[in-house]
Amino acid sequence: MSRTLIACFVLTAATLAHSQSTAYHQDPKWQAPSEAAAKPNPLRDHPDAAAGGQKLFRRHCAECHGDEGRGLKKAADFHLPAVQQQTDGTLFWKITNGNPDRGMPSFSRLPELQRWQIVLHLRTLASPPAEAGKETKPDSREAPNDKSPTNGQPDKNK
Amino acid sequence: MRPYVSILLLISGLVLAASGQERPYFVTYDHHLEEPGNLEIAAASTVRVPREGQRAYIAPWLEIEYGITSRWTTELYLEGISTKDDSTISTGWRLENRFRPLKREHWINPILYFEYESINEASGIAKEIVGNAEISDESNAELRRVHAHELETKLILSSTVHDWNISENFIVEKNLSEDEGFEFGYAFGVYRPLSSLASGHACRFCRENFAAGFEMYGGLGSTNGFGLKDTAHYFAPVLAWQVSENSTLRFSPGIGLTDVSAPALIRFGYSYEIHGFGQKVARLFGGHS
Repeated sequence: MSRTLIACFVLTAATLAHSQSTAYHQDPKWQAPSEAAAKPNPLRDHPDAAAGGQKLFRRHCAECHGDEGRGLKKAADFHLPAVQQQTDGTLFWKITNGNPDRGMPSFSRLPELQRWQIVLHLRTLASPPAEAGKETKPDSREAPNDKSPTNGQPDKNK
Repeated sequence: MRPYVSILLLISGLVLAASGQERPYFVTYDHHLEEPGNLEIAAASTVRVPREGQRAYIAPWLEIEYGITSRWTTELYLEGISTKDDSTISTGWRLENRFRPLKREHWINPILYFEYESINEASGIAKEIVGNAEISDESNAELRRVHAHELETKLILSSTVHDWNISENFIVEKNLSEDEGFEFGYAFGVYRPLSSLASGHACRFCRENFAAGFEMYGGLGSTNGFGLKDTAHYFAPVLAWQVSENSTLRFSPGIGLTDVSAPALIRFGYSYEIHGFGQKVARLFGGHS
């Protein structure tokens, strides 16, 4: 029994080491359907709910994206215009579904309103224009390029 | 039986079964897998309230769960049992894997579950109920001599409806050590967090930290006799409390619904999640994180 158990542990450790060693690259396939991208944030008139979003962000997202959302490891920097230009609905969809191919888990286990709270918090991370200009240069942590119909348009929900 | 062993097992059960937004179920699985790179260590126990002629027991287990990828979670169980007026023994181990075949969230989300069990007949954690109920009053010493290598598969179907989780599990188990045919079972669960919104401050007793619901589980006979005859079924309210960022407590008093069920199966546990465990190990082995 113990040999089998040790073999299982070794196999798991090897898989684990292998599965954790890739750098972030944007995934052009990770697109929110247009219907989801157009969804408005039901909490848009409750900016006070962003504080709860920050708490949730630190609990669930900071491990990969950093406490300030600057992006660590293979995860995106939320301060980048490429992220901030995405609609609330797109961000919500990405939080809900995750991107298993790139290691982003689904957070559908969080209640719907809590996911919208996280979106509210992400909006507070938008950088001032001057600073944002500096951050658009190529970066291994570049945010995914969303090509949904609303991409690149001012967010109607903000 | 050494009393201190029982005490240690009991304490480990109390100290180690619950985690952030963790499902409150003990038997039912939903479609949420462990986040990749996270390690969760949990300890839980099942206490059987016996029928007349049976002995009460507490069956603790240690659970080590790791998210290998966002679509593959693996879990190792080490289990034991401490029976009143009898002994405290190890009852074996289990290795389970859960795979998520679909990338996106759907109305119904399937998960494929495969488990290998190397246990003995004294096993009492009742992580699943399959086949027909067995009535045995043999001692642990006798039961541990009967070893079982078992394969178990589950089809897990799970949905998120607003803040509710609704999960159905269909179970098929095959004992490779004895010809018992294929045994069947089911589990069904519903739960929701007590609050949809997160408060802006850190709090221990906020409603958002609690999730409640119920689960039902039981056996459906085997290929030797499919149906509800002589099968055990339980109805169990479930409650989870996220005590801190990383830890959760769970409690579930299950009530036996048939004559061959135990009157009650009471479960409790604690879990602790280590975020980024995989990345830390990868760094040790020279990987990038």
